[in-house]
Amino acid sequence: MEQNTQQTVENEKKGLRKLFGKFHLETKELVLLWIFLGIFILMSIISPGRFLSVYNLQSMAYQFPEFGILALSMMVIIVTGGINLSITYSATLASILGAVVMVSMNKAGAPELASVLVGVFIIIVASLVTGAVNGLIVAHIGIVPMLATLGTMTLFEGISLNITKGGAISGFPNMFQWFGNSSIIGIPVPLFIFVLVIIATYFILQRSTFGAKVYMIGCNPTATRFSGINVKKTLFLLYVYSGLLTGLAGLVMASRYNSAKESYGYTYLLQSVSAAVLGGTDISGGFGKVFGTVISVLILQVISSGLNIFGVNRFITDVIMGMILILVLTINFINNKREEKALVTKKIVTA
Amino acid sequence: MKKLVLRVVLLSLVLLMVGSFVFAQGQKATTSDEVTIVIMPKLVGIPYFNASETGAKQAGIDLGVNVIYTGPSTADAAQQVRMIEDLIAKGVDAIAVAPNDPAALTPVLRKAKQAGILVLDWDTPADQSVVDLSVHQIDDQEYGQHIWDLLVQEMGDTGDYAVVTGGLSAANLNGWIDAGLSYAKTKYPKLNLVTDRVPTDEKQQIAYQKTLDLLKAYPSLKGVVGVSTPAPLGAAQAVQEKGVADKVAVVGTALPTDSKPYLEDGSLRVATLWDPGKLGYLTVYLAKEMLAGNKPVNGQDVPNVGKITVWADGKTVIMGPPTDFTKENAGTFSF
Repeated sequence: MEQNTQQTVENEKKGLRKLFGKFHLETKELVLLWIFLGIFILMSIISPGRFLSVYNLQSMAYQFPEFGILALSMMVIIVTGGINLSITYSATLASILGAVVMVSMNKAGAPELASVLVGVFIIIVASLVTGAVNGLIVAHIGIVPMLATLGTMTLFEGISLNITKGGAISGFPNMFQWFGNSSIIGIPVPLFIFVLVIIATYFILQRSTFGAKVYMIGCNPTATRFSGINVKKTLFLLYVYSGLLTGLAGLVMASRYNSAKESYGYTYLLQSVSAAVLGGTDISGGFGKVFGTVISVLILQVISSGLNIFGVNRFITDVIMGMILILVLTINFINNKREEKALVTKKIVTA
Repeated sequence: MKKLVLRVVLLSLVLLMVGSFVFAQGQKATTSDEVTIVIMPKLVGIPYFNASETGAKQAGIDLGVNVIYTGPSTADAAQQVRMIEDLIAKGVDAIAVAPNDPAALTPVLRKAKQAGILVLDWDTPADQSVVDLSVHQIDDQEYGQHIWDLLVQEMGDTGDYAVVTGGLSAANLNGWIDAGLSYAKTKYPKLNLVTDRVPTDEKQQIAYQKTLDLLKAYPSLKGVVGVSTPAPLGAAQAVQEKGVADKVAVVGTALPTDSKPYLEDGSLRVATLWDPGKLGYLTVYLAKEMLAGNKPVNGQDVPNVGKITVWADGKTVIMGPPTDFTKENAGTFSF
């Protein structure tokens, strides 16, 4: 009897070793995928019939796009070794500017479609401008991204507050709700926008020469400059792209909340850094994949919704999210160490 | 070494699972046919909303309903929207929310209504077209005037003063301040507001910093009104630190237990508020009655709360007049 249990313990140990051995062999993204699946199954088990219901899956699909788009706008900047602290306020500033025009056109009796189109156009243009401001300060003036975007964050917040006087702008044409609250063949519109953003970011970052330059800058900006690459131009364009993404997030948020206000989603700022880092993006730049960030966004969403449906105190949710972040970072750290060691031994052997 | 790290990782995974299941046990105590009422504050983890949680939970026990008291850990409207969406998916009977921003919650509250959920607001009004019942702690007009009366009582009716508020878009805080400011214009014309209301993100630390800034920028300051429960405490903390408690009078809306130390050393002259526990209790009580088909009536005597006022529209309920807390009586309250 005793021997038996001992044997099972031994077997379990072997199994676990195998499991972790596998983890070590796979890439960071696959680790994340496993964690995502594990948490998804766990949540489905602990709140049967509620978490795994069509309604909840759909409701989650409405929730994560705005955060996901912001996470990607953060991630593309982190890849260069920078950070963009202005993303949430850039999103809300763009949506506020669009909202002001849309609401006044609506009040003046302009056709709905026209005011929505003009509103969306202004949101996009405004977000490009916020991105250009960041790009100008970081790339051309050369201020450290963290300080530069801290400044623009306060700037955007201030401009927004001056326009709204602290309130929310509402009274959009009904048609505007389409971007945040409608679905096409059962798939929420925000999710469509998010998928487009994922595809675009993937091609720009991981499948183009522009993307290759971005990763190079993240590894070593000086060496990149001496390789004949226009670092300033690349960085500038990247910040403009990051700004564009915040505009899309602002569009989805304004539509979902049917109003625009400077503080909407300000908690997404640090969460988007977490999502990017959780997704394997190197905070010091040079590495990071779109897929990893997207999976982390899904992980955070599933934990948040799952625990909420389950009725767990919000602070415990924060604790659990923190633990998972540390867990994944630890696994990545161990994997990196092992890879380094393997490399070193290989070199010794070949030498 | 490697094994140790692995073990730590493993252990935290196991803890995570075990933790989740412990919570699962707690949840299983409630049966599915029981009435479930969600009370959502602006945020969890500040004394005011902790006190209303105690009241709401007590009402749940007294009335035999399942009360879920949950809210975001920061006062972000976007987070409230997400949480309400999750709760609709969970399937509850009533949701009472204190919105961080009324406009942002309108679409999701409409969704809740479509799902057959009773929608209430409490503490801070939501868009009145989507709520079935609006529970107010106080008559905003009267309360605003009362706060300014207290200010004048402490600083005199002439001189410079400033207003430190929780947030610029909180409808109830703005309601009181607007009422107080217009009242001061006619009744106390010699009072001089030095700057626009100063927002403090519902945080004592920020109220403290902003008040330090105010004291520096306006040395002639004689009074500070703190609106939202952490604001007067932060203001008092700043006044206490600068040693100007005898020159600058701080009054505001704060809980008696929190404000007791400041009341005792005079950095906070007087605080005024209602019992947030009673407000939580009343909200659960009214939600349960509404679910049973009973609308509240004017002058109705609610057990453990007292007589309530119902406006002519039949859906605005007012709990009662405020209580003032001073050095003398602050110790006698439990919230």
